[in-house]
Amino acid sequence: MTNGTTGTNGRKKLPLEGLRILDITVVWAGPYGTMHLADWGAEVIRIESTSHFATSSRGTMARPPKAMVALRAGGMGYPDDEPGERPWNRNAIFNTHARHKKSVTLDMTVPEGQEIFERLIKNSDGLIENNVAISMERLGVTWERLSEINPRLILIRQPAFGIEGPYKNYRTWGNHMEALAGHPLLRTYPNEDPARGPSGVPSDAAGGIGGALAFLMGLRYRNKTGKGVMIEAPTAENFIPLMGEFVMDYTMNGRVHTQLGNQHPYFAPHQAYRCKDAEGAVPGETERWVTIVCRSDAEFQALCGIMEAPGLALDARFSGALERWKHRSELDALVSQWTSDKDPSDLAHRLQDAGIAAGMIMNERDVLNDPHVKERGFFQEVTHPEAGTHQNPTYGVKLSKTPNEIRRHAVLLGQDNEYVYKEVAGHSDDEYKHFVETGMAGMDYAENVS
Amino acid sequence: MTEQTTIMPLDDVRVLDLTHLAAGPFCTRILGDYGADVIKIERRETGDPSRGLPPFYKDEPGTERSGLFMFLNTNKRSVTLDLKSDRGRELVLELARDADVVVESFAPGTMDALGLGYVALKAANPRLVLTSISNYGKTGPYRDYLGMDINLYGMGGNMIGAGDFDHEPVKTAGRMVNYHAGYVAALATSLSLTSVELDGQSEQLDISVFETATHSIDGRLGRLMGYEHNGHLSSRPTRAAAVASGAHPCKDGYFLITGGARFLPNIIRMIGMEELLGKPEYATPAARANPDLIDEFLAHLIPWTLDRTKAELRVEAEKHGVLGGPLNTIEDLLNDESFVAREYFQEIDHPTTGPVKYPGYHFVLHRPDGEDGAEISMPKRRRAPLLGEHTDEVLSGALGLSVGEIERLRADRVI
Repeated sequence: MTNGTTGTNGRKKLPLEGLRILDITVVWAGPYGTMHLADWGAEVIRIESTSHFATSSRGTMARPPKAMVALRAGGMGYPDDEPGERPWNRNAIFNTHARHKKSVTLDMTVPEGQEIFERLIKNSDGLIENNVAISMERLGVTWERLSEINPRLILIRQPAFGIEGPYKNYRTWGNHMEALAGHPLLRTYPNEDPARGPSGVPSDAAGGIGGALAFLMGLRYRNKTGKGVMIEAPTAENFIPLMGEFVMDYTMNGRVHTQLGNQHPYFAPHQAYRCKDAEGAVPGETERWVTIVCRSDAEFQALCGIMEAPGLALDARFSGALERWKHRSELDALVSQWTSDKDPSDLAHRLQDAGIAAGMIMNERDVLNDPHVKERGFFQEVTHPEAGTHQNPTYGVKLSKTPNEIRRHAVLLGQDNEYVYKEVAGHSDDEYKHFVETGMAGMDYAENVS
Repeated sequence: MTEQTTIMPLDDVRVLDLTHLAAGPFCTRILGDYGADVIKIERRETGDPSRGLPPFYKDEPGTERSGLFMFLNTNKRSVTLDLKSDRGRELVLELARDADVVVESFAPGTMDALGLGYVALKAANPRLVLTSISNYGKTGPYRDYLGMDINLYGMGGNMIGAGDFDHEPVKTAGRMVNYHAGYVAALATSLSLTSVELDGQSEQLDISVFETATHSIDGRLGRLMGYEHNGHLSSRPTRAAAVASGAHPCKDGYFLITGGARFLPNIIRMIGMEELLGKPEYATPAARANPDLIDEFLAHLIPWTLDRTKAELRVEAEKHGVLGGPLNTIEDLLNDESFVAREYFQEIDHPTTGPVKYPGYHFVLHRPDGEDGAEISMPKRRRAPLLGEHTDEVLSGALGLSVGEIERLRADRVI
C-alpha cells in the first residue's frame, strides 16, 4: 500500500497488533466498533459477499439510481454526488469507518463459503456481528458451533435487543431502537407535536464504543482463563445507561420526564439562539446559532454586561436562579433579540472570555475550519483510489504513545481476497483461482445485486 | 486469601478515581462493572458535587440522596481526602503507586498545580495509565473554555441537523455528551492497559469531550466525510426527506418509520396495498424516489397507523421487515416486555432508597466458568458508597496505615 499510508518506517508497534478479528457488522454501530480495533492495530477482516448486498453498509444500495442519490437521503454522500463505477467503494459513511480494515468476499449462504468461514474462524481471535438472532442462525453464527471450531474465540454479538428474549428477531436501526428506549420523546420540543422532534443515533455511537470495549474485555478474560467467551452487547441495553438519571427519577420517584427540548432542569438561560444568517443559497445551510448557559447569578450579570443591558440585570423577573428559570421563555426572547444580528463565532468567544459557557452550533464546514480542531490535528488528508483525496477525521482520543494517524484508506470490496484466501484460510493458488473464477472472490457485486 | 470463584476481565486492576460530576464517574463506573477495584477520592464533607444534584430521592436534597450520584458510582469505594494538603497529596501518590490507572477530570492544569501531574504520577508508578478527561482537551485555544452538554453537542454533534426546520436545533437528553465521553474514556483506558502490559511503559490519555462528540456522538463522522465528498451541509429538514419516513400518529402515541425508495415495498406490504407495487410510479427504486410520492403515500399510511397501537405496530413492523419503533416514555421502557423478560434493569439496595431499579450492564459476558463449563451469571453490582465509607478500610488495607495514623489524619482534617 502506498496510498493513504504514512509513517510506516520505524513505526511503533500498535497495541492490538497480532490479533485477528472477523467483522460481519452492518450499518454504523458494529462497523464503528471494529474501526477502533483496526485503528489500534488489530487485523480486522470484513467478510463481505459479491452476491448479497449487506443492508446499509456500503451505502443503501449497491447501485443506487441517480434520483436517489440526488435526494442525498439515507447516508449517500458520494464524491460530487456521483455514485461512479463502483458506488460501494465511494460511500461517505463506509469510507469513514472502513480505514485500516481488510475485505474478503465469500458467500456464507453456500456450503463452500461456510467451509472457508470455518477456516477463518479457526485462525482468528474474534468475530463481531450486529444483527438479529435469526439472521446469524441462518449463517451458522452461534456460540455452540463457533466455540467448537475455536474454543479461544471471542464472540461479540450486538443485536438491538439481545440474542434471547421477545425481540431477538426484531430488526431496527439505531433510531427506532432509541425511540423504543425513550430518547426521542425525552429530547423533543416542549409543548409541540412530538413528531417534529429529532431522530439521531447516539445509540449507534455508543454501540460502537461498547462493541470495541467488549472485545478488549473478552481479550482480558481469555488471557486470564485461556478460554474464549461470548459477550452479548445489545445496542439498546448498552444505550440506556446514557439516560441514567431519567431512569432513576422514574424508579425512585415515579417521575416521567418528557419533551425536554433544550430546557435545563434548573439553569436559565440554557438555549440555542438564532444569530445573523451566513451567506448562501441553500435554505437551512445559512442558519447560524449560538448556545448560551448561565449557571449562576455572577454569570448572568456578566451576560447582562456584554449585552449592555443594565435594566435586565436589575429586572426582578430574572433576579436569582429560580426566578430566571421560571421566566425562561421571556428571558430567551430577550437574549434571542440580542443575538439575532450577531456572528455566532465572535459571540461565543466573547462570552467564553467573560466566563460564560457558550458555543457556536457548528456545521460540517465550521468543524473543518475550526482553529481548535485544527490545532489538535483532528483531520488528516488521505487519498482513496476510488473516492479521491479528502480530509478524513482521525481519532477521537489522544494517547501519548499510540500513533494517531490513518495508515491505510477505507478498504475496497474484496481488496484483500488473495491474502485472506491463501494466508489466512490456507487455500492453494489453484483453489484461490477457482474461487475467483466462480465469482466468490471478486471486487464487484454480481450484476443482479441491487 | 479469599477464594476466587469467578473471573472478571478487570479484577486485577485498581483504579484511583479522582473524577467528579458526569463524564469521569461514567468512565470509572464502567471499569468497576467489569471488575476493577475503583477507589473514589472525594472532597471532605461535601464529596462529589453530583451528590448535590437531582434527582433526589423523594425530591429532598442530601449527601446520600442523589439518584444521579447513586447511578454513576456503583461498584466504587469512597475515600475522603484533602488534595490540597501536603499529606493528602502524598497519600494520593502512595495510592497511585499500587494502582494501574488514575482517572481525573479536573480542568486542564489543575493536577499539575496540585503536584499530581503526569510527571509526578509517573515517578510514583512507571507503569501507570493516566486518563485525563476535560471539556476541550489539554491543548488548543479552547482549552480553558467552559463546557456544558448543550454547548459541547452544538459544537461537536449534529445539533444543527437535529429537530424541525422552524424550531431551534435541539440537544440530546440530559448529560449524554458527557456520558459518551466517559464511555470513550473507558475504552481508551482499557486499550492503554493492554499497551502498558506489552511494553511496561506508562501512558497519558487526553480525552476531550468536544472531540469525542465530534468523533462522534451521533454519526457526525460520516457527515464530515460526506461534506468532504460533495459539500453537503447538514440542516434541519423542511419536510420528510423520504417517502413514508417520520414519526406517525397512532392510536396511543407515535410510531417512527424509516421509509425511502429502498424500504418502501415492505411498508406497502405491511399496510396491505400490494397493488401499488404494480403501478409504474411505485414499481422501481428510481420511481419511488420521486418526492411527490411523499404526501400521496402518507394519505395511505396514516389512517392505517391511526387504527393501531404502538405495540401492534411494532409486531407488524417486525413481521414485515419494516424499520420502525414506538416513541416510548421512560415509563414505557421500564415496563417493556423485552427488558422485563431479560431482567435488564437491576435492583440495587441503598440505605436511603431501599431496593430501586438501575440501568443494567452495557454488555454481558457469558462466562463458561461453572461446573462442566456452565455459564456463571454476571455479579450483582454494589451500591454507590456513602461519603467516606471506605476511608479507613482503604488507608489500612491498601496503604497499611495504623489506627493511630488514621486518627491523626482525621484530626488534621486530611481525611
